[in-house]
Amino acid sequence: MKTILQLVKKDYKLFLKDKVALSLTFIIPMVLIALFGAVFGGAGDFEKLSLGFVNQSSSKVAKTIETTLDTTKTFRLIKSYKNEKGETVLYDSNTIKTAVMSGKFSAAIVLPEDAFTDTSSSLKMKFYYDPKNDMESQVIQGVLQQTIMQSIPEVFTQSMQKKSESFLGKDTGKMFNSEMNKTISKYFKVDTSEIYGNMNKGTTKKSTDTTKSKKGGFNMFDNMLNLEKYQLVGKQVTNPMATRSVGGWAMMFLLFSLAGASRSLFEEKQSGVMIRLLSSPVTRTQILWSKYIYNMTVGIIQLVVLFLGGMFLFKIDIFSNFLNLMLLITASSIACTAFGMFLASFTKTSAQANGLGTLLILTMSAVGGSWFPVSMMPETIQFFSKFTITYWSIEGFLAVLWRGSGFMEILPFLGILLGIGIVVNIVSYFNFKRGNIFRN
Amino acid sequence: MIQLKNVNKSFSTVKALDDVSLEINGGEFFGLLGPNGAGKSTTMSILIGYLAADSGNIFINGEEVKTDELNFRKEIGFVPQSIALYDELSAEENLKIFGSLYGLPKPELEEAMNSYLNAVGLYDRRKEEVRNYSGGMKRRLNLITALLHKPKVLLCDEPTVGVDPQSRNAIFDFLEKLNADGLTIVYTTHYMEEAERLCNRVAIIDSGKIIALATPDELLQMLPTSEHIYITKNDATVSNVNVFKSYGEIIDNNDRYELRLNKESKLSSFFGALENANVNVQNVTIQKPTLEELFLNLTGKRLRD
Ligand SMILES: Nc1ncnc2c1ncn2[C@@H]1O[C@H](COP(=O)(O)OP(=O)(O)OP(=O)(O)O)[C@@H](O)[C@H]1O
Ligand SMILES: [Mg+2]
Repeated sequence: MKTILQLVKKDYKLFLKDKVALSLTFIIPMVLIALFGAVFGGAGDFEKLSLGFVNQSSSKVAKTIETTLDTTKTFRLIKSYKNEKGETVLYDSNTIKTAVMSGKFSAAIVLPEDAFTDTSSSLKMKFYYDPKNDMESQVIQGVLQQTIMQSIPEVFTQSMQKKSESFLGKDTGKMFNSEMNKTISKYFKVDTSEIYGNMNKGTTKKSTDTTKSKKGGFNMFDNMLNLEKYQLVGKQVTNPMATRSVGGWAMMFLLFSLAGASRSLFEEKQSGVMIRLLSSPVTRTQILWSKYIYNMTVGIIQLVVLFLGGMFLFKIDIFSNFLNLMLLITASSIACTAFGMFLASFTKTSAQANGLGTLLILTMSAVGGSWFPVSMMPETIQFFSKFTITYWSIEGFLAVLWRGSGFMEILPFLGILLGIGIVVNIVSYFNFKRGNIFRN
Repeated sequence: MIQLKNVNKSFSTVKALDDVSLEINGGEFFGLLGPNGAGKSTTMSILIGYLAADSGNIFINGEEVKTDELNFRKEIGFVPQSIALYDELSAEENLKIFGSLYGLPKPELEEAMNSYLNAVGLYDRRKEEVRNYSGGMKRRLNLITALLHKPKVLLCDEPTVGVDPQSRNAIFDFLEKLNADGLTIVYTTHYMEEAERLCNRVAIIDSGKIIALATPDELLQMLPTSEHIYITKNDATVSNVNVFKSYGEIIDNNDRYELRLNKESKLSSFFGALENANVNVQNVTIQKPTLEELFLNLTGKRLRD
């Protein structure tokens, strides 16, 4: 073990001296993440999510929702289509369902006529989505909820004042996504404490400004608290597109740096250092372990640094679910290290490893969703996505950062990543035993 | 001390070692001499347990050498043929890294480092990155890196390639001193002069076979001729060419003759004849036979093409 640590220490020493490796690991990815994040996440339609939209309600609230969604950066509302004659036709509640089913867009919202009436205790909305694009509809739900909540709180203040204890139960649309309601209620739950805080302040100060209708409020919140029994999903995401983009790019660069780190085996062999190491009391297995530990820890550091970068650049909240994020980062790093070692184990030269590595990494990144959400890809490609490390890591990151998933929920991602890591490592180990690195 | 018994090693089509048996005693300065591709490095790789022999046994200090067997490795120091150092680190950092693998206590390692750095004249530049070193400096560092743990056997694979004559001499002196202090050294080279100067015994290897094994002097005895005599061409010598011919074979090399003395001819009588013929002895140079010639003689090819 001591020998392995000495070897790891040596690799870190070399890494810290290597300005190129350092900047390829940290600075360049950060710059690219910032750049692409700004280009795709900020302006432009590229990463906007298409959302079908029909508003049949004449209520003011519905109108407000429509304008809000229209002006968000996240959504591109699609309200009409061109028929065979080339005329522009507005979607109605039927045509929009067909559009979702045919995959024109992965989700649609319909505000029915009675979306919000004077007697409404809640806002009625139909949310149609294609379960195939589960990930994307999750995103849409999350952002939708957040947009609506943040932009038009009065809708819900009004709705609360109606004091209907079960505004959630009335599910009108067949395909109404009940989660929508749950997420909304989650919002209330989250906010109650805040509002309670405000109210307490308000009451002690005897100020009425911050707490309109205190009395009603108290009753209402009592009712709201009953909603806690719902296992809620959906978490407020400050910057969903940037989260995907940071996770995606970080994974790509992780693969690059770990493939590069494994190539150092070739360099050490080339320079004769390998034979010198093996002439001292060091075994081949110890060398492999040292590389493994070194690569894995560098990978973890790299991902943490890039997510920290994401936090500063795009306000991605990495700390509210930090432990689970760390688990995923570790599992991703393990899987990617295995990938790098695998490359080194069956190629013959550094150049081969380089070429093949680049090819595989770019393919994995494209197919696995580093660049665009997998749900936006054709079905056949989506099938292959599931064979990439990238896919499972990114989906895992999104689960943690978007949905606030707990340990049990990310377990499948961890399991798959670790599984990939273990299997690939076993294969590499035997490749190494037969392979070239440790031969003359 | 070191024993190779009927060692064979092939790489796909090439037979790199063909039934090699050697015994090297403690305290020897043993030379392994052979041209490119003779199997010198392969022998070294097998000795350190880096490569496994296809068949045969190897013992160092009574312990059998095997890949992934670590016990004997503490007893050996290995100087690879290539400069096996981390270029981007300083000499000191390199020494620390490789030294640390032997589990030496820090003060001991530190002391060994400083004394060897001094011994090869690198102490003042120990903090400089190795990439800024000259070829000769790198070679010297490459050499002492193998010595930190005070091995009993030093295996050097062509440690002076690309080193200027002066530095080379310094390395020779250094090695000779280590050997005098009791270190067993195995030294591969394709320079005859090196083997002649350094080694008390030399094995000549060619195409994976040991073709001769003796002291340098004994090896020279094996040559059909002993000395080489070169005679500069001028009026006096050209006119006396028949006199020379009576002592041996004359080879006409453009600007000079080469005389290969017959076995029965004596150098002293040849010089007597020169005097009689009024040929200035300054026109004559005598060269001792070299292992190089022995090699040519044994294998029919030159050591270096
Ligand atoms: N890994 C290998 N794969 C295939 N052939 C090899 C390998 N290593 C050595 N050989 C062959 O084995 C033979 C002996 O090589 P070796 O390196 O031992 O020669 P050497 O005496 O050290 O030569 P040099 O003076 O050039 O260093 C050569 O023919 C070489 O081509
Ligand atoms: Mg060699």
